[in-house]
Amino acid sequence: MQQLSLLLASLPDGILLGFVYGLAAMGLTLIWGVMNVINLSHGPIIALGMFGTFFLFIRMGINPYIGLIPVAGLGLLIGIVIYFVAVHRVINAPHLSSLLATFSVNMIIIGLGTAAFTTSPYNVDFNMGSFRLGSTTILGTRLIAALIAVLFTGGLYLFLYKTRPGRYIRAVTNNRAAAELMGVPSTRILALSFGLGTMLAAVSGALIATFFPFNILSGGSYELKSFVIGVLGGLGNPIGALLGGLILGVLEGIIPAFLETSWVPVIEFALFVVILLVRPKGLFGAK
Amino acid sequence: MAILEVKDISSGYGEVQILWGSSLKLEKGKLTCLVGGNGVGKTTLLRTVMGLIRPWKGSIAFEGQDVSRLPAYTKAEMGLILVPEGRQLFTDMSVYENLEMGASNKRAAPKFKDNLERIHEMFPRLKERETQKAGTLSGGEQQMLAVARGIMADPDVLMIDELSLGLAPVLVLDLFESLKSLRELGITILLVEQNVHMALAISDYGYVLSEGRIELEGPARDLIKNEHVREAYLGL
Repeated sequence: MQQLSLLLASLPDGILLGFVYGLAAMGLTLIWGVMNVINLSHGPIIALGMFGTFFLFIRMGINPYIGLIPVAGLGLLIGIVIYFVAVHRVINAPHLSSLLATFSVNMIIIGLGTAAFTTSPYNVDFNMGSFRLGSTTILGTRLIAALIAVLFTGGLYLFLYKTRPGRYIRAVTNNRAAAELMGVPSTRILALSFGLGTMLAAVSGALIATFFPFNILSGGSYELKSFVIGVLGGLGNPIGALLGGLILGVLEGIIPAFLETSWVPVIEFALFVVILLVRPKGLFGAK
Repeated sequence: MAILEVKDISSGYGEVQILWGSSLKLEKGKLTCLVGGNGVGKTTLLRTVMGLIRPWKGSIAFEGQDVSRLPAYTKAEMGLILVPEGRQLFTDMSVYENLEMGASNKRAAPKFKDNLERIHEMFPRLKERETQKAGTLSGGEQQMLAVARGIMADPDVLMIDELSLGLAPVLVLDLFESLKSLRELGITILLVEQNVHMALAISDYGYVLSEGRIELEGPARDLIKNEHVREAYLGL
């Protein structure tokens, strides 16, 4: 009985968090899906998104949800810069080259971030109230974050399937050489895709900062979760990423009701390995 | 004046030289074919002309403009379109989306409707399969789609690499017929073929490529009577 009430208390929170995890993962899987590059600078960019919220809200008094707009814009810009500086030249090289290139970016951001912000925790004291649902309390910030994550997922889906640049992204994903032959400047499309990936990472970080304390290293755990979600949801599919995030969130809601919280990563990554072995294309992977 | 003029092109992959100074000219509105055996550099020539491979030497002029160093997507914008070997469709996208992708360049966009109608007339099968993923089409339908996607790009020059490869003879006949109607629309065509006989039969002018060099050229009806061509390529 006690476990059940614990479950009821932690499950809604897990679900809401799951949407935000899904949003973070979408950024990673988009980049992987389009250009077969694993962006190891994903975590620090999530962290930069967190600091984005901090500076816009605490220093400039901008509402964190309005602040998402400049954070998204900067996230897009940073990604395009990273693409041209670190990724473009190794895009056709073996995976190890792009892994090392994005890992270097990861180290640079973390280094600069540590120098600028230290690694002591930051906190955005922002409150959207809370309400009771049965026996649990739901924080307004988490509910809004989940809604925004869903909004971004829908937006990304519409962008990919209903707009011309989105169609170009899918075409380059499918067959880069053919897209080039049809007049699509594929390098620009790859840069845009990378930028969209980092934009999603930064936005998810900005949302997470509204309810968790953070430092420049905080993105790391979300990056790892993004890998698990990518494998759950299949790569390059925004809806799959959202569902994957949801599964992870539910697990994080359920597990603490039965086991110590320290078991959460153990079970998550055991699941990761099992799915890699049994369904390497992901639970919702197309092929 | 020639709409496309390739002068003394050398190129290859890495250290391996494939083309050793090949030249050819396409006359506006004509159907020209480039024939030759397997591995003599036909595809390499097309890829070099298109800009997928940089030429090592020589020059390429399109509509009087030097385009030797331009990337493929810029040439596509200008109206030089390649239907590549192996079709290279967007297999995960629908037939209709493939056609939309064909019309990506700025020139083609306003003519989208007209070109689509034209394609539905030429290949009614593609209309029936509009919503199907391109990867699920049969080989012949895929080749039709590859050509159709090229037409959607509203080309001035359409280069087609191995139109007949791996297709049933009946289908090949149909596709060759559709080339004739494209010529009537004023599209200049460069057809690369291993099926030498059929290619020469429908072309106005022909080039024979051998070991990276143009070995022979002339009006197609002369080439088809040429002793060497008959012996080496037509097995007569």
